[in-house]
Amino acid sequence: MTILAPTLAMRGLVKTFGPTRALDGASLTVAPGTVHGLVGQNGAGKSTLIKILAGLVTPDAGDIEVGGTPLGPLSPRGAEELGIAFIHQDRLLVPTATVGEALFLGQERSGSRHGLWRGRLERRAAGLLERFFGIALPKGALIQDLTTAQQQIVQITRALLADPKIIVFDEPTASLSRREVDHLFEVIGQLKAHGLTSIYISHYLAEIERICDAVTVMRNGRDVAHVDPRTTGTAEITRLMVDRDVKDLFPRHNATAGAPVLSVSGLAAPPAFRDVSFTLHRGEVLGLTGLLGSGAKDLVRSLFGLSPARTGRIEVDGRPVRLGSPGAAVRRGIAMVPEDRRAQGVALALAVDENTTLASLPAFSRFGFIDRARERLRVSRLIDELKIKTSGPEAAVRTLSGGNQQKVVIAKWLARQSRIYVLDEPTVGVDVAAKAEIYRLIARLAEQGAAILLLSADLDELLGVSDRILVMYRGEIVSEHIPSETTGARLLAASVSGARAEGIAHVA
Amino acid sequence: MSLETLDSPRAAAPDLLRFGVPLALALVLVAFSLMAPGFLTLSNIVGVLVNNVALAAIVSIAMTLTVASGGTDLSVGTAVDLGSLAFVSAIIAGQPVWIAAVLGVLAGIGTGLFNALLIAGLSITPFLATLGTLFIGHSLQQLTTDGGNPVYVPTGSIPPALAFIGHGAVFGVPLALWLVAILAAAAWLLLARSRFGREVLAVGTEPQVALYSGLPVRSVLAFIYIASAAIASIAGILISANVNAYVPYSGNAYLLNSIGAAFIGTSLSRTRRANIPGTLLGVLLLGFVSNGLLLIGWNFYWQQVGSGLLIFLALLLAFTGRRDAA
Repeated sequence: MTILAPTLAMRGLVKTFGPTRALDGASLTVAPGTVHGLVGQNGAGKSTLIKILAGLVTPDAGDIEVGGTPLGPLSPRGAEELGIAFIHQDRLLVPTATVGEALFLGQERSGSRHGLWRGRLERRAAGLLERFFGIALPKGALIQDLTTAQQQIVQITRALLADPKIIVFDEPTASLSRREVDHLFEVIGQLKAHGLTSIYISHYLAEIERICDAVTVMRNGRDVAHVDPRTTGTAEITRLMVDRDVKDLFPRHNATAGAPVLSVSGLAAPPAFRDVSFTLHRGEVLGLTGLLGSGAKDLVRSLFGLSPARTGRIEVDGRPVRLGSPGAAVRRGIAMVPEDRRAQGVALALAVDENTTLASLPAFSRFGFIDRARERLRVSRLIDELKIKTSGPEAAVRTLSGGNQQKVVIAKWLARQSRIYVLDEPTVGVDVAAKAEIYRLIARLAEQGAAILLLSADLDELLGVSDRILVMYRGEIVSEHIPSETTGARLLAASVSGARAEGIAHVA
Repeated sequence: MSLETLDSPRAAAPDLLRFGVPLALALVLVAFSLMAPGFLTLSNIVGVLVNNVALAAIVSIAMTLTVASGGTDLSVGTAVDLGSLAFVSAIIAGQPVWIAAVLGVLAGIGTGLFNALLIAGLSITPFLATLGTLFIGHSLQQLTTDGGNPVYVPTGSIPPALAFIGHGAVFGVPLALWLVAILAAAAWLLLARSRFGREVLAVGTEPQVALYSGLPVRSVLAFIYIASAAIASIAGILISANVNAYVPYSGNAYLLNSIGAAFIGTSLSRTRRANIPGTLLGVLLLGFVSNGLLLIGWNFYWQQVGSGLLIFLALLLAFTGRRDAA
């Protein structure tokens, strides 16, 4: 099935929301049958542009052409009729639906009332998944039983049923593991082979470099550059996005590692990890990485008392401790910035001040009652200190951007005066500028004497921020690296193959 | 940028809606006083407060605690009944009234402990756990009272203290209303001002975040369900003292109203949080509507239609308010 997709051209788009000019003459031209990258910081106008394409937002000015034919303002229905499909980062599937229901629900085009014939529905779904992606999902599985990547494949398949010509991927990999990303890219490659056009929006420039044929860079509501990712490096693209150099992205901290704060020896929680030993010092940023299933995630969880280790010894300040619950870990001065920020890090419905003092309520209470004045004062100071962009301490955290929500999580632990920070993928899903701010915060924490354990799959981030990097493979720490003496390729090799020999710096 | 940021918030609308329920209460009072001359008399109002509102208010305060913690307590009525049964049995057995009252509350605490064990210990959803307790409590009452017969305190031997609890007044205000005031003030302080209340709020809205902040999620939940049942059992003691008897399953009559009142109260809050003042307004509204309908001669069987419409109205307000607030 080769479809010749039409050329999409959006020109001179302007859109203002109240005092904010979201788009200021932005253009986007996408050649048929290509994968077109769209990059820019949050607020650069990508989302508004895409919402205009989806018919969700009507532009104040500008025009849209598909296949050379000018179109009026689009409606969601109209976008669908043109064959434009959208894959969003937030999964829009009903968690308790079966795969068949998720694929066909609300699609009247099939004509039959297959809703009543579940067996047939599931068989048809299995057939389609096999045909499009060559995968078989567990029989009778519900959406909530699937991995994020599998859910995404169901979502893409659902979009494909409508026979789209252009598919827009909006941050599709934000919650995928590296292996799942590889699979998604294969799928996008197949779509391209069938002649479909893809528009690919991502914060991860490495991904853009890997799969895009052309890239449009947006800044301040305009398209500021059109580049070929094969000739333009990610550093240059980053500079175009933020209009400043990438080396500013990773500020080095000036702290020197001090006394050991957290030492772990012979820690094991089979089958996730075993024989894990390391020491984390005052003023040190210790990187940790490993593929899915390497045990790095489980190690981090056990250090926060979420799934306690079976055997081994954990010492905080030289004293042996038992970390049987998050409460116990918090009392020992351990802070956790979890990967799933919106489910575990911040309470979206609660205010900034309520979130900030959540881990240190005793310090803000007198005789069991909250001292609101003291709370407000401390939180206002933290908002200033961390430059959290919010309308005030009483604004709901829901109203903050991802990067600012992450700063609230960090503020929560600063309010507690925690000394050991366990950061689990702290920059997932935040834009470049917010990333830079989070890195500056990490550096500042280290300079103030905190000890930081940073779990990340972003190797550039690890190399840019850490003092040492531990790589885990199949439940064990296989190597230790010094950023200045190693490369991303070496880290990757160690994560993939467990290569022990190279890059071992010194044994902690 | 999310879709939410695209709609400019209509700031005035939610505030208007927030005052909808107090406004509705005022309207109800005015309308009924025009239609039924006996409605706006002191004796009728005190009658409504003591007979319709006081007990419902105590049970609703208990319910508000569990709603604030993100659940519900379907067994509040069971705690009322078991409190009443223990209280009356102890009095018949010749115990002093204060010991009987302590035993009544202990029966409530026992019910709450059972819920706490299921919810905090075994992680069963509050809805199912307390539904189970409701069924078990029903059987327990049948088993201990020959299939559900009332237990009377013999008329000749009613202790004066019992009569005081049932019908007494302090400074001219009925004892039941004092109890409502004290319990409401305590629960309000707990939820809105105390450190524990903040923990309840976090556990109730985002249990995962509470856990990841090191809060003792399970103990918070356990305490809430024990407190809820203990408060409900106080209503049971009041009922028994009022009629000098234990009447089986009488507590369940308060269950639906208390859920209604707690959620009407939630819809009043700008941040959609369970709160004691809102719950009390909900109780007043439900109480006066059913009394007013009775006075203007509505058939008793139609009265629940009035309550139902009222709850729909509150939900509607809450729903439109939430969309506007987004």
